[in-house]
Amino acid sequence: MNRENIYFPHLAQITRILPQIEDHKLFGLTFVDKSMKDNFSYRPGQFVELSIIGTGEAPISISSSPTRPGTVELCVRRVGRVTNALYNLERDDLVGIRGPYGNGFPVEELEGNNLLLVAGGLGMAPLRSLLWYTLDNRERFEDVTLMYGAKIPDEMLFKYELLSLLDRPDLRCMLTVDKDEEGIWPAHIGVVTTLFDQIEIDPSTTYAAVCGPPVMYRFVLEELLKRNLSKDRILMSLERKMKCGVGKCGHCAIGYKYTCLDGPIFTYWDAINLPELI
Amino acid sequence: MEHRTLAGDGLPALIDELIKKGMRVIAPTQRNGDLAFGQVSSSAEAVLDYFLCKRSAKEIVFPRTEAILGFDRSGGEVKVEPPSMQFPETVVVGARPCDAASLPILDHIFTWDCDDELFTRRREATTVIGLTCTTADNFCFCTSVGLSPDNTAGSDILLTQLEDGQFFVEVVTDKGEKLAAELGELFREGGDESARQKAGEKARALVTRSVDVSKAKGWLDDHFDDEMWESWMTCLGCGACTFVCPTCHCFDIVDEVQGLSGHRCKNWDACTFWHFTVHASGHNPRDVQYKRYRQRILHKFRYYKDRFGVTLCTGCGRCSRHCPVGIDIAEVLETAAGSAAS
Repeated sequence: MNRENIYFPHLAQITRILPQIEDHKLFGLTFVDKSMKDNFSYRPGQFVELSIIGTGEAPISISSSPTRPGTVELCVRRVGRVTNALYNLERDDLVGIRGPYGNGFPVEELEGNNLLLVAGGLGMAPLRSLLWYTLDNRERFEDVTLMYGAKIPDEMLFKYELLSLLDRPDLRCMLTVDKDEEGIWPAHIGVVTTLFDQIEIDPSTTYAAVCGPPVMYRFVLEELLKRNLSKDRILMSLERKMKCGVGKCGHCAIGYKYTCLDGPIFTYWDAINLPELI
Repeated sequence: MEHRTLAGDGLPALIDELIKKGMRVIAPTQRNGDLAFGQVSSSAEAVLDYFLCKRSAKEIVFPRTEAILGFDRSGGEVKVEPPSMQFPETVVVGARPCDAASLPILDHIFTWDCDDELFTRRREATTVIGLTCTTADNFCFCTSVGLSPDNTAGSDILLTQLEDGQFFVEVVTDKGEKLAAELGELFREGGDESARQKAGEKARALVTRSVDVSKAKGWLDDHFDDEMWESWMTCLGCGACTFVCPTCHCFDIVDEVQGLSGHRCKNWDACTFWHFTVHASGHNPRDVQYKRYRQRILHKFRYYKDRFGVTLCTGCGRCSRHCPVGIDIAEVLETAAGSAAS
């Protein structure tokens, strides 16, 4: 549309709105321009700048998998100005999208390995992309394990979709909640790190992909290191206030890295060398 | 490239000739009581016997606010329009070397990975005639960052006034040569190179402040958590330093609405503002002011150098001159360099 202007968004139509948990909805977006719709491709772990024309832009990670083209899915928490404006829109309304931005998960490097996905809270939003990418290319990966923890059952994203994966033979799907006061939860109870006792990690053939709130990292990283997983096999999707998405505006600069280009996927090795990263 | 000479009273004629040729001329001029870079419609509006403008020359290629798209929702449906990417031929007359030098430094950030054509097209359309300094104050420290009051970096032509009042016309780039050729009649062929040397030495002697920036960087490289940073907590987070700075380039993207239409704008922002890194969730990775001030210093003297090979500072001293609580950037560097020594 406008290749010279790197800040110019493409218009997309809201084609689906699926409520998840309180103040979290999954928006399905389809580009108005047919060639954008057909050709928009991305890597799991990448993000877009979502804009509500007249309100502004916000960086949102992509929750759908590139293996299912046509619709881009964004799981959006209603929290700021832009996301509140998005919640006021309805099906068929138009939004703007720039991207995809960021490095995404190094999926080619992960092929042939065991994968351990560890998510906490809203951290499932970017990992869902990697999860479906992996399941849709199942033969390219060895054992795949998902560990996802939410505070209570009502705060688990993609709950029914994930519960339906519990019986899948080619995925070890471990879902947990910190508390279940109503006694309705059919799976594990306890913080996500309590799941680690149930699995074996072969450090030579395993990659871990971790995403969650800042408090979660410390405990999960500790568990992974205890099991001898090397720091460059621990991948983390980190949050920063990415504004331009193209390494110019400075908002997401950490050390000499720009989260929007060098990240948002960083290894734990990067994190040790970049203060302020987590 | 062939050097030339301009008569001592030739600057006004040069400006008027450029305007006559249809170029947009930007020079230091009075704007609301301050000296600022602005378009002049005749040489009478230009002030060239000056020290520095309050704000830097960066806004010529990176305006404080510029539209990146126009939008209109009056018809019910959203319509978006890209802005014009055509920029007029512009000549900046009289930029001081610390202002001119910021342009090639900014090229790195606006062209790495992908080009920000709002910047690059303005830059391509702009020719810079620099002017060697004749005054300096105690905040100036350009000679500590590899520049000098007679440095040609970023200038396409550099004018240096010689002892006899004439200007030595140093043609630095092809763009400068093209402009000099067009202004042929104003310039005399050849120039007194030894007088130019002498004037340069005199200009360099004006800058008495000296900091060992590479020693300071050595300290900055491994003292992220040093307690010195907390002692700079006096920083108010007002952002004045970043707005007057020739190399600070952080910006925000903001929708500015009038009724049902408006513009999405690229507006200057500052890493020293508390909201610069705050997430929608409320989490702020730089939660207190000293961390934000530390980011400004480290970005300038460590990170930008590590990433792009150049220091993000021209030593103009504006940030120190305008800081409401008197933080002096050279003093911060002196402290860092001093700590490295001890």
